[in-house]
Amino acid sequence: MAITYDLVKEVTANLYDWSLRRIPETSKSALRDAVETETVPHARKTLAFMLDSAETAERTGRFLCSDAGVPSYAVKIGSGVRMQGDIRQAIVDGFEHLVQTIQPPILRFVTHPLTNERSYRGKDMPLVSYDLLGDVDYMDITCAPKALGGGRWAAIETLVSPSLDEIERCILEMVMRAGGQHCPPVVIGVGIGGTFDHAAKLSKDATLRPFGEHNPDPMVADMEERLTRAVNQTGFGPMGVGGSTTTFGVHVEYASGHGFTPVAVSFNCWINRRTRAKIHNSGVVERIE
Amino acid sequence: MSTFDLPRLKLPLTPAAARALKLGDLFLLDGEAVATVGMPTQKRMVSEVAAGREMPTPMRGGAFFHMGVSYDEVDGRPGRLHYVNPTTSSRFSGLMPALIRELGLTSVGGKGGLSHESADAMREVGCVYFSFVGGASALLSEGVEEVVDSAWNDLIMQFRLNRVRLGGFGPVTVAIDAHGNSIYERLMTSAQARLPEILQGLRAPTSPVDEKH
Repeated sequence: MAITYDLVKEVTANLYDWSLRRIPETSKSALRDAVETETVPHARKTLAFMLDSAETAERTGRFLCSDAGVPSYAVKIGSGVRMQGDIRQAIVDGFEHLVQTIQPPILRFVTHPLTNERSYRGKDMPLVSYDLLGDVDYMDITCAPKALGGGRWAAIETLVSPSLDEIERCILEMVMRAGGQHCPPVVIGVGIGGTFDHAAKLSKDATLRPFGEHNPDPMVADMEERLTRAVNQTGFGPMGVGGSTTTFGVHVEYASGHGFTPVAVSFNCWINRRTRAKIHNSGVVERIE
Repeated sequence: MSTFDLPRLKLPLTPAAARALKLGDLFLLDGEAVATVGMPTQKRMVSEVAAGREMPTPMRGGAFFHMGVSYDEVDGRPGRLHYVNPTTSSRFSGLMPALIRELGLTSVGGKGGLSHESADAMREVGCVYFSFVGGASALLSEGVEEVVDSAWNDLIMQFRLNRVRLGGFGPVTVAIDAHGNSIYERLMTSAQARLPEILQGLRAPTSPVDEKH
């Protein structure tokens, strides 16, 4: 048995479709908790409205947002995986098929960066990263469409031999720059160290981590907790119109580097669109989120 | 959240009605508004007003929202509505002062707010900014009764000037009032003022960095 072109095409298209209509379970829990803990009455109402709307979208199959974003996938491939056909092309073709058939239709968001022309297709679209997993016989695929709230406010800064305080100050400055414009409460992903591209990828991957899961390194987990508290003290609140819930969680990942230390921060809006499935060599598809 | 008990506002507002609204007030909206998410659209609007030409759909004294609209097209006309949702207004801040002044807009809306210069124009004209909840398309769309008209149909659907009729649209928050007060500016000022204290509270209990290496 092998993982085929047809199966990857179908699964990646479905992951994108599903991501448009339901928020992750851990985002729902975070919203429910925040309705209780938010200190500003107006913000509590907004959070309750968000939860109600997300549950309505899931129940009725409506879209969460009119902006379907651009498709972005993280594909992790076990070294025991056998592939049949052009898997890269399968993802391109799956998206192509989806935009022609999805109901309701999605609007054109794929934008040529030099001409601003908008389409359903474009160079390097969908955006896919490929990683290797260990000796397992499955492919683990996450789909997380990117629109303004999930992409526009990402930033990176390269520091030289910084102290932990300096790193954290740098993160807070990027948080301040974004203010409340990214449809908070957001997830914040922080990538520290390695190289420019590596830190950026760590940061993006950190946004994909479900709420409630902490970095296994106690020092980093402590950082996550302190940063989450600090971001929520800014007061931007739900939709940036005030409140104590600006983020549901700051997730930090790091890599060793050379001493010049890139610090990358990315955000994802409150709907936190993310779906995930594993495809096994046997052809079995296991939906994770 | 039960939105049924929120007060209703009928669009378009008069400048006097806009001036009576208070920062932070929540409403549901009725009446008509023109919606787009297009940068090229708004650049074209600015050149049209600069050239002394009228908009292709009536907008003078009206409501203008940064909101995407998706609908079926029947014989080149808007048909059944699919969904709506706000987009980030702040990226249009450079264009909005001219549009607010020249068209005498009495309400604008979207998410993320507008610049200080836009708020100045709003104060002069008698105009408020409504914040909509982003990502809540499933419920917000229920407050749109019909896409009445679309203009500049050479543009892609969400970039056109889409005229919508609202019936209980919201909740919307008055986030910039007609007196120059902006929730966004207040929150940013207050967060900046609090930043040293936040950073102080953030400090790691012990620094793990070994200065000798």
